[in-house]
Amino acid sequence: MADARARNAGIFLAACICGIASGLFGIGGGILLVPFLVLLFSFEQHRAQGTSLIALIPPTGALAFFAYARAGDVSWRTGLLLIPGVFFGGLVGARLAERLRPRRMRLLFTVLMFLLGLWQTVSAFRR
Amino acid sequence: MILLVLLLGLLVGVLVGLFGIGGGIVLVPAMVYLLGMDQHVAQGTSLFILLPPVGLGALREYWKGGQVDLKAGTLCAGGILLGGYVGGLIAVPLGSRELKGLFGCFLMIGAVLLWRKHGEKNETTSHKRDNMNG
Repeated sequence: MADARARNAGIFLAACICGIASGLFGIGGGILLVPFLVLLFSFEQHRAQGTSLIALIPPTGALAFFAYARAGDVSWRTGLLLIPGVFFGGLVGARLAERLRPRRMRLLFTVLMFLLGLWQTVSAFRR
Repeated sequence: MILLVLLLGLLVGVLVGLFGIGGGIVLVPAMVYLLGMDQHVAQGTSLFILLPPVGLGALREYWKGGQVDLKAGTLCAGGILLGGYVGGLIAVPLGSRELKGLFGCFLMIGAVLLWRKHGEKNETTSHKRDNMNG
């Protein structure tokens, strides 16, 4: 009983950290939430991904979004154009996740992400 | 140009479903490099895109497979909402360059985390898959 409560509090705290990253970097937070659930709370991989997706259904970024909107840091047109693609793409991706073992894809994605991060860091601190 | 943006959204969506992430981690660098946006605007626009439930289609597939923990998900949603407010307050006054550098570091950390979970958890997934086939 107490164990379950501690576990729930831990999950909530981990999500708060994901939230700070979400507001700070303009992302959903799933990139941290999925590994947190798997590594800290021993979720099975598919279950962690499904749980991350349901956590992102309510507009969890709303408070962070208002901070950006107030500062004029939103491109509405591009945003509206991207929304349908992300929705339908998500459907396709979820079917793929159930069918294929995304091992090679994840490797490719990880390497690409790391290089992009490196590029951003270097270009920010040069000059 | 419009077609490029629509296609970009579709590609990001596939990654959303495949890895159970929001998609912002791909959207932000894509908008900065492909569409030439400022770092702050890219991040604000990414948050705007994530306001409607873009992951709903993907979630449906996971739900059918019984791969959703509703209670943990609700807790996480609350945490992300609160934390997001704090993060937004930190990010807006930062300079674009500092924010870009921070995001870069975060991307690298995210890549390492994604790689680790892949290395450790692939066994379980393939094991489950074998059970389902057999």
